[in-house]
Amino acid sequence: MSKGLKAEVEKCTGCQICALVCSATHVGKFNPSESRMNVMDLYPEPGEVRLNYCIQCDEHPCVEACPAEAIKFNDALGIYYVDKEECTGCGMCVEACPHDGCWMDPSESYSIKCDLCGGAPQCVEVCPKGVLKR
Amino acid sequence: MAYGYTGKVLRVDLTEEKTSVEPLNGDWAKEYIGGKGLGARYLFEELKPGTDPLSPENVLSIWTGPLVGTMVPLTSRYAVITKSPLTGTFLDSYAGGYFGPEMKYAGFDAIIIKGKAPKPSYLYVNDGNAEIRDAKNVWGKDMFKTEELLREEVGQKAARIAGIGQAGEKLSRIAGVTSDITRNAGRGGAGAVFGSKNLKAVVAKGSLGVEVPKIDEFAKMAKQMLLKDVVENPDHAGLVTDGTPIIVDMSQDAAILPTNNWHNGQFDGYQGIDSDALKTRVFVRKKACFGCGIACGSWAKVRDGPFKGSSTEGPEYETLGLAGSNCGVRNIEAIVKFAEECDRLGLDTISAGAAVGFAMDLYEKGIITKEDTGGLDLKFGNEEAYAKMPEMIAERKSKIGDLLAEGSLLAARKIGKDTEKLVIHAKGSEYPAYDPRGSIGMALAYATSDRGADHNRAWPVASDAYGDGDPWSTEGKAAICHEEQIMKSYKWSMIYCDFYGVSAENMAMYFTAVTEQPASVDWLNAVGVRVWNLVRAFNVREGFSKKDDTMPDRMESEPLPTGKTEGKTVPRAAFDKMLSEYYQLWGWDDDGKPTKKTLEDAGLGDIVAKLDYLK
Repeated sequence: MSKGLKAEVEKCTGCQICALVCSATHVGKFNPSESRMNVMDLYPEPGEVRLNYCIQCDEHPCVEACPAEAIKFNDALGIYYVDKEECTGCGMCVEACPHDGCWMDPSESYSIKCDLCGGAPQCVEVCPKGVLKR
Repeated sequence: MAYGYTGKVLRVDLTEEKTSVEPLNGDWAKEYIGGKGLGARYLFEELKPGTDPLSPENVLSIWTGPLVGTMVPLTSRYAVITKSPLTGTFLDSYAGGYFGPEMKYAGFDAIIIKGKAPKPSYLYVNDGNAEIRDAKNVWGKDMFKTEELLREEVGQKAARIAGIGQAGEKLSRIAGVTSDITRNAGRGGAGAVFGSKNLKAVVAKGSLGVEVPKIDEFAKMAKQMLLKDVVENPDHAGLVTDGTPIIVDMSQDAAILPTNNWHNGQFDGYQGIDSDALKTRVFVRKKACFGCGIACGSWAKVRDGPFKGSSTEGPEYETLGLAGSNCGVRNIEAIVKFAEECDRLGLDTISAGAAVGFAMDLYEKGIITKEDTGGLDLKFGNEEAYAKMPEMIAERKSKIGDLLAEGSLLAARKIGKDTEKLVIHAKGSEYPAYDPRGSIGMALAYATSDRGADHNRAWPVASDAYGDGDPWSTEGKAAICHEEQIMKSYKWSMIYCDFYGVSAENMAMYFTAVTEQPASVDWLNAVGVRVWNLVRAFNVREGFSKKDDTMPDRMESEPLPTGKTEGKTVPRAAFDKMLSEYYQLWGWDDDGKPTKKTLEDAGLGDIVAKLDYLK
């Protein structure tokens, strides 16, 4: 069973508050581009929203793809996370992920994906429509 | 520069095809905050009085504010500030969606655009850089297609775009600026100012973010406020469940719902266009703007019938009123189509709806015929003809389309034959959907709104027709307008959404949390007084005075026929009384001009020398 976030995307209104709190938590500023939750409007079919984030899939091809072994396992949470210090920014994980769950930081120097904020995911707490669940 | 500001203004000279970056004026930022206030100050300084709004000399500016892009709820909007081609007044027009924060993340508090590009162009801003690009692939295209093509062209699938459809390109004075497909800085014709500059769009993509002090504490506060002050705030309940369409039934009950070009305050087909109709017939899902926990927007899609497949976000109350009951349209599906067309082509739904209602009135009276309408049988309630009107206006097709593109008032002046009396407007801006004959304070609110008739500067209808007050008493109406215009002036300078029922105390608290600058309710009031007086001085400098603070004769001469407003009018004496009280409250002279003392007290002593009437 996947340990990642669950989302009832049909309830999502696209407000991006999850992305705001995520970037505040991870990089200390409000910047959806650095968020681990990517809220995507689907054009040209407006009104539809897609949430891209790491669902912590069982296959985790990102782990196999990483040549630097920078995607590590957190025993306590049972999830894989990117060790920023060891990530070389090669982008192999991004290519390998079939779920659009990880991507490059805007600096292009390392990849980012949801790490459940160390166990208390802030987006789940803040989502005004109860879309996200742990 | 304080936290919350990027501290940068992008200057664009389209004539020379050059861009440059300069620091934001920090002294002004302290006195005017951002958005409306700061934009007004720059415009007052930089626009030569008497400038033709559609000439290269007009100044077009796009503003964010210090709270935009942060986690302060419902503040992530943008303001388009310029001189209005519809009214000739100052114009500040706002849109939600996602463009505002994106522009700020791209590095700019404001973009100030002058001149006229030698060929159709668009502006691309990305992380502190700016580029004027050739718009040949999108010129002539609607905004839906334009958004798609420009995202491809800049190679950013999450870029946000504010631009114009055919209406703005063809210089319609009721053309808005459209972003995120359905969000419009609609009122006042800013789209035509884009068009007059050969500017199709501004495309923004930013990853610079916004920093605030002590962000962990800040996020905790914002989270709590989002829950307590937004999601659980009882003032927002109707917006969460219904959104603005909830007002249709309220207006029908109060008999102030504009119907058939303001000849009635009640519509016998209202049940086909109200919130229940929306929810049961076309609703798909709720939609929010950036950083909003309310999500008042409704995605609607037509399921069957002649308009099957049409979709829009909304329609909102003003659209349901002006483009619904006021055109005698009984089915929400037709209004979804009309709203979709207005978004696609870049038209303001209030002015476009009002203009079509006016044209239907002309048609029914035989003043215009099928010869003028391109063969359309433009009777009230003819949905097929009505749904074609946005394109007729935006593309200036047929005689009537070409005329209405100028706005109802200019159209009436060209038609002549005493048709001006059929146009319900103030300063050329068509009235929003609250009939003053059942809320006389609205006549004052419309007459004194800085950008022409408007519901977002003061809204006395809330406390009379929708509340316990007496809708026909002049008592206290000037005070409501005065107070709300002050409050909205600072609220729009921080660019809050109108729908956040945020207290002044909390606005001050948020401001300090973001900028680390002290703020209080008194200080916010002082900013509001300063901004409203500045804008009034701008308008006086453009030739406006008491002679322009008017209401249409029909408000006095034509009593409404049914319901609570049966036999009701706005007596001229009542209007004049409110207006004179209003001038006194503001400290303006009998002609509606701010006195030297009023300006000095408001901290505007330095503009006195720039005003001829004070010499």
